[in-house]
Amino acid sequence: MVRRRGMAGAAGFAAVGLVVLLAACGPASSSVGGASAGASNGGTTVTYAMSPGGTAAYPFPFMGLNQIGFDSIFNIDDFQYLVYRPLYWFGIGTKPYVNPELSLAYKPTYQGNVVTIKLKKTYKWSNGEPVDAQDVVFWMNMMKAEGENDAYFSPTGLPSDVTNIRTAGKYVMKMDITTPKFSESWFDNNELSQVTPMPMAWDRTAAGPSHCATVVADCKAVFNYLTAQSSKAPSTFPTSPLWSVVDGPWKIQRLTTDGNLTLTYNNSYGGPKVPDHITTFIELPFTSEAAEFNVLQDPTSSQTIDVGYLPTVDALVPPAGSNVGANPRTLSDYQLSALYPWQLTYFPYNYKNTTGQAPIFDQTYFREAFQSLVDEEGVIDGPLHGYGKPVFGPVSGFPATKYISPQVAALGDRWTLSVKRAETLLADNGWSVKPNGTDTCVRAGTGPGHCGAKIPAGTQLKLKLMYATGIDWMQSAARELASNASLAGINLSLIPESFDDVVNAAFGVSPTCTASNCTWQMAWWGTWTYSPDFLPTGDELFEGGAPNNAGDYNNQHNNQLITATLQARTAAQFDSAMYRWQNYLAPQLPVVYEPDYPSLVETIRGLDIGPQNSALTIMPEEWHYLK
Amino acid sequence: MTAYLVRRVLQAVAVVLLVTLIVFGLIRLAPGTAAAAAVGSGSAHQQFLAQYLTWLGHVLSGNLGRSTRQNETVAALLAASLPRTLVLTGASTLIALLVAVPVGLLQAVRRSSPIDHALRVLTYVCYAMPPFVLGSVFILYFAVDKHFFGAEGPQAQDIGGFISDPRDLTLPVLTLALVTVAIFARYMRSSALDSLSQEYVEAARARGGGERRIVVNHVLRNSLVPVVTLLGLSFPQIVGGALVVETLFNIPGMGWQIWQAALNHDFPVTLGFTLVIGVAAALGSLLADVGYAVLDPRVRNSRP
Repeated sequence: MVRRRGMAGAAGFAAVGLVVLLAACGPASSSVGGASAGASNGGTTVTYAMSPGGTAAYPFPFMGLNQIGFDSIFNIDDFQYLVYRPLYWFGIGTKPYVNPELSLAYKPTYQGNVVTIKLKKTYKWSNGEPVDAQDVVFWMNMMKAEGENDAYFSPTGLPSDVTNIRTAGKYVMKMDITTPKFSESWFDNNELSQVTPMPMAWDRTAAGPSHCATVVADCKAVFNYLTAQSSKAPSTFPTSPLWSVVDGPWKIQRLTTDGNLTLTYNNSYGGPKVPDHITTFIELPFTSEAAEFNVLQDPTSSQTIDVGYLPTVDALVPPAGSNVGANPRTLSDYQLSALYPWQLTYFPYNYKNTTGQAPIFDQTYFREAFQSLVDEEGVIDGPLHGYGKPVFGPVSGFPATKYISPQVAALGDRWTLSVKRAETLLADNGWSVKPNGTDTCVRAGTGPGHCGAKIPAGTQLKLKLMYATGIDWMQSAARELASNASLAGINLSLIPESFDDVVNAAFGVSPTCTASNCTWQMAWWGTWTYSPDFLPTGDELFEGGAPNNAGDYNNQHNNQLITATLQARTAAQFDSAMYRWQNYLAPQLPVVYEPDYPSLVETIRGLDIGPQNSALTIMPEEWHYLK
Repeated sequence: MTAYLVRRVLQAVAVVLLVTLIVFGLIRLAPGTAAAAAVGSGSAHQQFLAQYLTWLGHVLSGNLGRSTRQNETVAALLAASLPRTLVLTGASTLIALLVAVPVGLLQAVRRSSPIDHALRVLTYVCYAMPPFVLGSVFILYFAVDKHFFGAEGPQAQDIGGFISDPRDLTLPVLTLALVTVAIFARYMRSSALDSLSQEYVEAARARGGGERRIVVNHVLRNSLVPVVTLLGLSFPQIVGGALVVETLFNIPGMGWQIWQAALNHDFPVTLGFTLVIGVAAALGSLLADVGYAVLDPRVRNSRP
């Protein structure tokens, strides 16, 4: 399904950062939103620095196409999820798995094609009503009613693949899955992960109460009403009869036009309670990483910040064997940790490119040669200041999960930097290699030792990489790649563009492609973050025709292996199918891999925020100051 | 004078309309649905002029559209960010003028003296120093190291709170002012040198006027004319400079907002803010001309 949220780039990367920083309690500090300065001594307030360029803004969790601009980590993970709980919560420790303790419902059960969801009876809305099965049906009905206007609509996914959505008791709901063969793991992690129960208080229009929770036909009017109410001035949200009804651990106390958000603890929250948890959570927007870092370093700043982030460019290289390096001298009051989001960093080739390079990208030997020119370790040691992990397959190996194939993990990176290997692969396949010049195809044809189908003699290896500006290390990595490519005779031109421009170009290709949007050859926007589709099956990024398969890589055997993962009913069958798929696809190198990189989280000493969650959800309700 | 003012106001209105036409045309040419939505939903088949007039009608009725990223109207974003930028640029420009005028005058009067050389070097340094470098140095020394001032701009949501926070306002204003001082001082020196060589100055000296009186009464007034013109025309550049300072000092002002809107393809914000900057530039030019007329009677008495 189309998940723009999965793309993190110039802005998104920062967003990924559970960007939090705490200012040392400066004596001159005043506070924002009523927060007490110097809370690190054991207070009940935490101030959290948001990444630059993004803010909380839009409360209604169900988004139509016109609201896609609010589909961001800032607005969803850092805001909506804290007040309106999704049905299933992802993140156990550092792993991106379903957290049964924090989910509103028990693990789904399946009988044939019927899925049964049983809600816990402990969760209540802040107006006293229980979070029950009807609230889930309310959401599902709205999905059905909005159809293609649902920002995450998929013709093959939820809600298209379910029918007969019904309650079967106060706390039990059932749906019939229409797909004959399906994977329970996939349904749990990539389908039900999208559902957020909605309170009956929201089932209304301007004319009064409505019946979307029971009648699909009533839902369009309700959606329009809620969308309009969500577009009112943010300062009205705390007192809105709609948005003040929450089931999450937090309530909106204050939201400004600039995105300054203050949340207060919801005492009626039905989830687990941590003793001495904080009671006020303040999120502060920043105009740039530099601005945030400046405040981080100044303990007398007017805004005290408890959790923030260290820009990679300012990080000190970690010593060998250590996950993090020392903090800069000016941040002695903070503790540094590295958070690796559940992501995959790569950039696609455009296999539908209309400027003549597509046949080159079709050649596996070329892709091997090109990957051999990516110096992932060099990028980690250089522009990433020692932070990062090499990527060498379609599933990231870090954080370590049960999803990665043991075989692929054991083999490791087989395409470490080697200009010699790249030259040999090209020379062995019909190219005249001219280091620091431009390689030329001299043996056209499809046989062994030839350039490959549709590559005429005289074709030169002149390629273009479009990349998103705004992230220093990406720009450095792109320049380094161009330099390495030049050594092997590949003339790689770099085209800097804005994040939006790169994304619009790259994701305009599949499934349709017109001459105007197929001219790009390679496009690097940043990384792909698995949220809220947490399962790294290939159906989103690598299956032919998939909406997020930028560049439209299409390999029949790969497609079959992906289908097998989606049809593997049990967890064991699913794992096995996943491994078979990865074992095949990893050496195919369908995309160009670059290192996964962490967010560097700074936490004020004395504040315990627990393990950093790679699923990008934050749980400030569990944060507390150490006595 | 009245006829002159009316003429200039009409010219300013024409300029503003031209600005709106150009901005609207450029956004209409931009690819993508976001741009199409910004110039009028469902209007893909409308003629350009009809779309433009519809949009202009909305603008004149105070409807500048709605941000696609910030869940706010453009007017609300303007109301939040414009005062901050005005305070920032206004205060820095005022400080710049208060410093640049006497400095430029002093340099002209003491031409080629050690003090002229020293001030010239200083203004060149400020002129050549990008605001982000100057601002970063200020933050590192005065905020992070010495804690004399805040590391970011005022964070109060209301303009009263913004203004009444001198500790946090000092460094961003100083950064912007120093860059502007250099520009104004260079112009003032050049203009004053020109005035000093005029016959009316020599005549005043021949009449036995004191040097201080000549400088204040004759040189200063005449030298201010090009500086006032520069002041009016430099508003867009000052807003441009404010972008850097706002980004560095965490001030979500106009410059930063328009930059973010451009990056995010938030076309309603781009349109609305560009319109305001265009109006401000035209207004600045108009005020400069009025000031020019006040300072130079030949201008206000001239016929078209």
